[in-house]
Amino acid sequence: MSQKKDVERKRGNRLGFWFFRTAVRIFGLRGTYGLLYIVSLYYLAFDHAAVAASKAYVRRRFPDHGVLRQMFDVYLLFVSQGKSLIDRYFVAAGGNEIGLELVGYEKIKDLLADGKKGIILLTAHVGNWQVAMTSLGKLDRDVYLMMRTEDNVAVKEALNIDSEKETVRIIYTDGAMGGVIEALKAINRGDIVSIMGDRTYGYASIEVSLLGGKVRFPYGAFSLASAARCPVAVLLSAKIGVTKHVVDFSHVINPPANRQGNKEEEIHACVQEFAGVLEEYAVRYPYQWFVFRDMWQGND
Amino acid sequence: MEKNKEQELAAIRKDLKEMIVRDLSLEDIKPEDIKDDEVLFGEGLGLDSLDAVEIVVLLQRNFGMEVKNMDQGKEIFQSIDTMAHFVYENKNKAS
Repeated sequence: MSQKKDVERKRGNRLGFWFFRTAVRIFGLRGTYGLLYIVSLYYLAFDHAAVAASKAYVRRRFPDHGVLRQMFDVYLLFVSQGKSLIDRYFVAAGGNEIGLELVGYEKIKDLLADGKKGIILLTAHVGNWQVAMTSLGKLDRDVYLMMRTEDNVAVKEALNIDSEKETVRIIYTDGAMGGVIEALKAINRGDIVSIMGDRTYGYASIEVSLLGGKVRFPYGAFSLASAARCPVAVLLSAKIGVTKHVVDFSHVINPPANRQGNKEEEIHACVQEFAGVLEEYAVRYPYQWFVFRDMWQGND
Repeated sequence: MEKNKEQELAAIRKDLKEMIVRDLSLEDIKPEDIKDDEVLFGEGLGLDSLDAVEIVVLLQRNFGMEVKNMDQGKEIFQSIDTMAHFVYENKNKAS
């Protein structure tokens, strides 16, 4: 595993999870946040790989910030991500102080009610998607997360998903056929398939513009949606208060209907539209897009 | 009877090759260039998981056939030959 990939891996390791889960039990939510300011200083001072990886995003989001100000931006990113992790475990441990403000929820309900098909949710490493997932419970549909087996196994355990009682399940993309058959079946049953859209993980990708540069984003979600003839709803969340998150489903992208003609161009347009949504998010919530790698250098 | 089966399989193989080239937009490949026993995914024709989506839909829409799961899919999608046999066997089950 490369050092760059290891930077992100450290963010989700079991020891870290145990530490924050324990801290929440002892100090409560706000008390544990206080620990973050010190922990984040440690990472800022000693985790050079993490700082370097964060700077690629910070430089593009804040091009007019000087060196010191950008270091502070990186620090704020670390603090913000720490809060996101703590909230995640607070919720998983049964904490119910966290309130959700839902935007576009009625639109999703209408999409699901309109036809027999399900939908694809396209997510990104923003806000707190695990908290966002809790908002899907009222839709009364199973949610399938498409991911590789190795990705955040500890997170899966921490959230206790994929047990028989849960309606959130996993479709592994590193198995036969990339899990697409299971995903298609889920959509045809009227269920929801969630796919991460801002990392390629080595899968097919397409170049789009983002924050003044070029990055590669995966287009599988739109290919799948096109084949299944279902819409893609962008699912983003952001922390807007100590115990409040906004979950936004309002942006829906309709993929091309068939394979012939300009389908490749239309799929490119869909991915670019998604990149545009993320750019708007970065403008609004600059410290809640956890991009700890240089996407613009093909590091995905 | 055997001759009819072979004729039907040959027709299905031809249809499948044309559908795959058309639906997957394989611009540099002609249907007749695809060998019956050529590996479709990975090596050979070099299709990937996103192409698998299209092929699953192709079987559903053109032949009314569903692939049950990923393991079955892996067997069926090995080559044009295995796909043709799947279509032939399921057509005869239905009729």
